[in-house]
Amino acid sequence: MLFLQLLANGLQVGAIYALTAAGFSLIFGSTKIFHFAHGATFAIAAYLFHFALAGLGLHWTFAVAVSATSAVVFGVLLDRFMYAPIQRHEGSFFTVFVASFGIGIVVQNLLGSVFGRGFMSVATPLSNSVEVMPGLYLSPLNGLAIVSAIICFVALHFFLTHTFVGKGLRALSENPELVRTFGLSPRRLSTYAFALGSLLVVPGAIFTAAGTGINPAVGHHVMLISLAATIVGGIGSLRGAACAGLLIGVAENLAMWKLGTQWSEAITFAILFFFIIFKPSGFFGRATVS
Amino acid sequence: MTAYILNLLVLISVYAILSTTLNFIIGYAGIFSLAHAVFFGIGGYTAALVAMHVTPEFFVAVPVAMAAAAVTSLLLALPALRVRGEYFVAASLGLQVLAVTLFSEWKSFTGGIGGVIGIPAVELFGYPVYKPWQFLLMSLICLTIIIVIIRTLVHTSFGRSLKAIRDSESAALASGKNITVIKTLSVVLSSALAAVAGALYAFYMSFINVQSFMLDTSVLVMAMVIIGGTATVSGPLLGAALLMLLPSALTYLSFLPQTEIGSIQQIVYGMAMVLLMIFRPGGIVSSHPGGSK
Repeated sequence: MLFLQLLANGLQVGAIYALTAAGFSLIFGSTKIFHFAHGATFAIAAYLFHFALAGLGLHWTFAVAVSATSAVVFGVLLDRFMYAPIQRHEGSFFTVFVASFGIGIVVQNLLGSVFGRGFMSVATPLSNSVEVMPGLYLSPLNGLAIVSAIICFVALHFFLTHTFVGKGLRALSENPELVRTFGLSPRRLSTYAFALGSLLVVPGAIFTAAGTGINPAVGHHVMLISLAATIVGGIGSLRGAACAGLLIGVAENLAMWKLGTQWSEAITFAILFFFIIFKPSGFFGRATVS
Repeated sequence: MTAYILNLLVLISVYAILSTTLNFIIGYAGIFSLAHAVFFGIGGYTAALVAMHVTPEFFVAVPVAMAAAAVTSLLLALPALRVRGEYFVAASLGLQVLAVTLFSEWKSFTGGIGGVIGIPAVELFGYPVYKPWQFLLMSLICLTIIIVIIRTLVHTSFGRSLKAIRDSESAALASGKNITVIKTLSVVLSSALAAVAGALYAFYMSFINVQSFMLDTSVLVMAMVIIGGTATVSGPLLGAALLMLLPSALTYLSFLPQTEIGSIQQIVYGMAMVLLMIFRPGGIVSSHPGGSK
C-alpha cells in the first residue's frame, strides 16, 4: 500500500514538474535563453496566490488570476529589461545564465523578507485526504493536478500546432535567421515564449501552495528539477521535458520507499548526472551541440 | 577590534583562494563549475580527520586533503570532457547537490549535520599555529603561492592550450592539443588547490559542518569571480574582498533591520550580478571592457 501511496504522490508531483519543465523547455528551446529565473517565476506565482487567497481573502478564481498575471508580467519584464539588453551585445550563454541566477537570488530573498522564511501552505477543502483503500490516502488535489496538467498539455499542443504565434515559436527554435527573413520579429516571438512559458508554472505553483507548501527556496528546487527534466528529456523537446518531469516526480517519491526523504533530490541528480555523461541528448533530443 | 579585523582578513584570504582557483577553470578553461564548494568541503573534512586521528602537521594534512580532492575531482572532469555550456553547469549542480546529501549523511567521515568538532590547532614542523595573526600570515602565504602557481601556469604553453580550448575546442583539437589531458589536469589542479582553502578553513574554525559547503557557497564564490572579473589575477581577489566585506559594511548601516542583513547581502550581490552582466559582462576588473567574454 505504501507503494501505491508513493506512486500516487509521485504522479501528482510529476505532473507539476512536467508543466514547469515544459515552460522552461519552451523558453529555452525557442529563444535559447537559459532562463534560470524560471524558478523565481514559480515562487512569485505561488506566494502571490497564497497572499491573495489567505492574506486578502479573495475568491479562489481571483487568486488564480493574480497568480497568473504576476507570473506572465514577471517573465515578460525579465525578457524585455534583462535578456534583451544582454543579447544586444552578443551575450554568451554564461552572461545570460549569471544574470538570470542573480535575479533568482534577489527574488528568493525579497520573498523571504516580505513573507517570512518558514513553510506556508493554504488549506483548502480540496486538500483533505480521504482513505480510498486501506492505507491509501488521496485528496481531490491529487487528481486535479494531474487533470489540469493534461488539459494544459493538450492546449499547449494545440497552440503550437494550430496558431500563427505557435508556429512562429516552433520556427524560431528551428532557425531564427529564417524567421527574420520571413518578416517575423524574433524579439516579439521571444516575448510570447516568455509569457507562455511563465504561464505554464502557474498550475504547479498553485497546487504546491495548496498541497505540500512553499518556502522562499521553492523556486530554486523547482528550477533544479525542471533543468534536470529538460536535459533528461532532450533540450527543445516539450514531450521529452514532460515525460522526464513525470519520471523524476515518480522516481523521487518511489525512492522514499527504500531510502529516506533526504535522498530524493540526490536521486534526481544522479539520474541527471548519468544522462549527461552517457546520453547528453536526452530521450527525444536532437544531436547534441557541444 | 583587532581580533575582528584579523578574523575578517583570514576569511577573505580563504575565500580569495577559492575564487582564484575557480577563476582558473572558469576564466581560462571555460568550465563553469557550480560545484567548487564540494572540493572546499572535501579539503576541510579530510584535513580535519587527518589532524584529529594522525597528526595536525600542516605538511601532512594539507597534501592529503589536496590528494582527496584531486581524486574526487575526476567526477567533475568526466562531464566536463563530454559536454559544455548549460549541460556542464547542470552536471556540476548535480554533483553539488549529491555532495551535500553525502556530507550530511556520511556520519563517519563528516559527522553528519552536526559536523566535526574540536579540530586541533595546525602545526608547522611541530610548532602549533593558533594566534590569529600567525594564521593570517600562513593563509596569506598559501594564497600568494597559489596565485604564483596559477599565474605561471597561465603563461606557459599549458595555459595557452587551455585558452585555445576555451575559445574553440575544435580548433584546439585540430592543432593537435590533447584536450582530454589538458581539461582533466586543469579541473584536478583547481580542485586540489581549493582543498587548501578547505584545510585552512577547518583549522581556523576548529569546527566545520555541511552548512559551509552547500550550493550557496559555490554560488558565492562564483559571484566573487564574476563580479571581480574573470580571467584576471586581481579580479577574483577584489571580488572575494568585496563580497566578504559587504555583510560587515551592512551591519554598520544601523537603519537596516539586523535580522535581514543576510537577505540584504544576497539581494545586493544578486543585483550586482544582473547589472554587471547587462553593462559590463567582463566584471569590475575587465581584461577587455565591454567585451562579451
